[in-house]
Amino acid sequence: MRKIRIKGRCEYPGRVEAEALVSTAPLQGFTNVDIDLGCTTERDHPLFMVPYEGKVLVFPSARGSGGFQKYGRGPHHPAAFIHTESSPLNVLCCLHSHVPSMTDFERDPMEVIETGDMVLVNADEGYIEITKKD
Amino acid sequence: MTVKLTDEEKRMLDGECGSVRRTCMAYLVEMAEIAGAERLIDLDGTGDMHTPGLSLSPFYEITEDELRELVENKDYFKIPTFADKSPFPENSPIDGWEKCNVCNMRRADCRLDDPEYHKKAMKEETYELLRKLGVMTSHSCANYLTMGYLPSIGQHCSWFESSQIPYCNAVLGARTNFDGSFATCFLGKAPYYCMHLTENRLGTVLIKTDRLIQTDLEWDVFGYAVGAEVRTAVPVLTGTAKPTTTQFQKLNSAIHTGGAVSMYHIPGSTPEAPTLEHAFGGRKPAREALIGEKELRAAYEYLNYHDSDEVDMVYLGCPHLNLVDIMKTVRKLEGKRVKIPMWVMTNHWVYPAALEMGYVKALADCGVTLMSGACFAAMGAVPEGVRSIAVDTAKQANYVTGCYPEAGGHLQVCYGTTDECIDAALTGRWRGEWR
Repeated sequence: MRKIRIKGRCEYPGRVEAEALVSTAPLQGFTNVDIDLGCTTERDHPLFMVPYEGKVLVFPSARGSGGFQKYGRGPHHPAAFIHTESSPLNVLCCLHSHVPSMTDFERDPMEVIETGDMVLVNADEGYIEITKKD
Repeated sequence: MTVKLTDEEKRMLDGECGSVRRTCMAYLVEMAEIAGAERLIDLDGTGDMHTPGLSLSPFYEITEDELRELVENKDYFKIPTFADKSPFPENSPIDGWEKCNVCNMRRADCRLDDPEYHKKAMKEETYELLRKLGVMTSHSCANYLTMGYLPSIGQHCSWFESSQIPYCNAVLGARTNFDGSFATCFLGKAPYYCMHLTENRLGTVLIKTDRLIQTDLEWDVFGYAVGAEVRTAVPVLTGTAKPTTTQFQKLNSAIHTGGAVSMYHIPGSTPEAPTLEHAFGGRKPAREALIGEKELRAAYEYLNYHDSDEVDMVYLGCPHLNLVDIMKTVRKLEGKRVKIPMWVMTNHWVYPAALEMGYVKALADCGVTLMSGACFAAMGAVPEGVRSIAVDTAKQANYVTGCYPEAGGHLQVCYGTTDECIDAALTGRWRGEWR
């Protein structure tokens, strides 16, 4: 099994291993996420109605409303967040969710992680370790 | 803890300055740690927060009793602070709620036109306490036009609401992150990172266009497309006309909907960019991007989301309409009668001015309802029976369908100019197109 380790910055601490769900497009909260369903409801989005519960949610950046923090709320929240670009929207999400979160990686995780890969998020020690599904 | 606190801040965190300051300081320290900020900064500008705002997060809460105690002690918010749109979480319209015909969150027990529900949603007792602490209850999502007290260039602020963040940074030249809350505004402190630091405000991406951006719709579509292109970067917009106040409202709401743009420059128009060179701080742009005819059309086609030309309802007022735009809407509708329901949404402080100017009656005579404080997306619903709406704003077009994900989003959105929306209100048909 091929393993790839990438160093990054801890936004919210924790250590968790779970399957990756990769969003090729930025994620937007507020009305475009449904915390009771546990999926994005943004029309024409690659993850439209795809459940994120228990996954390591990998995405390029957050966009739009401060309601992005809803991604971390409710019983169906992801196991961890990994994102390429950071913004105050991600800070709000960490504050409201206390879900492990990492950003500012030495190599863009979007280029490495595919949906279905296993990802160890070790925010406590500042790295992620990807086990490729193939 | 890696955040460096002053002695006074440490005393607050230790609870020596009361339980509310301790809660607020603990929240700010956590925010600073997440953001990677080394310290807090003392704010000298203004604040904007969603209200009542006593729940800072699920982990930090201020009680009504604590609020009462602050009032008894004649305490007050450290910076001039304004309330964002209608009270959370109900988001009921403040004026005009009687006619709204909306079930919040599509729950039968949350009828926003029920007097009992409305009274409860307004939380008057809590707001009376907040007002005594200095919070000004403007209930506006465009407080930069409502507050009548703007921060000056370089002042440090703490605002909320996506459209207001770039307005504060880019248009006013004041400095805010997306963090306005009871904690930041009451203490007058915020984590010192991102937009508070000069180097993060310099342009990074040069935006060019092959179509002169000059109409309200062009600014709205352009903003959305630029936001989607640059995401969290600081774009420098070139090839545009000088935006009007309304067009700045459109640009700012659209650019932080398509992306998460806290800051941008328009050389010659915005205060931190007298020239193109200033906008980039003398550096070369990291990259260039064209937002031309092709990209604008693609953004317009995404936002204009419908397969039928039948329109059930028209909505204007995202962000909350300013008085000049209400006046223009009145002038365009005078002597006519709308065929389908039409709402015009403003804020609670502009509403009395519209009343005094005769606009509330003039619109009512045309069959149009002037309301304040809310919007479809904030209410999480459109009026019952409505399946197709017409709007002139990218932000609302982008968000409102998310409330109805069933069957791939059965709410249709006709998106175009204000005139096209008014035409739809008069005819019940959508005749808008990208020209």
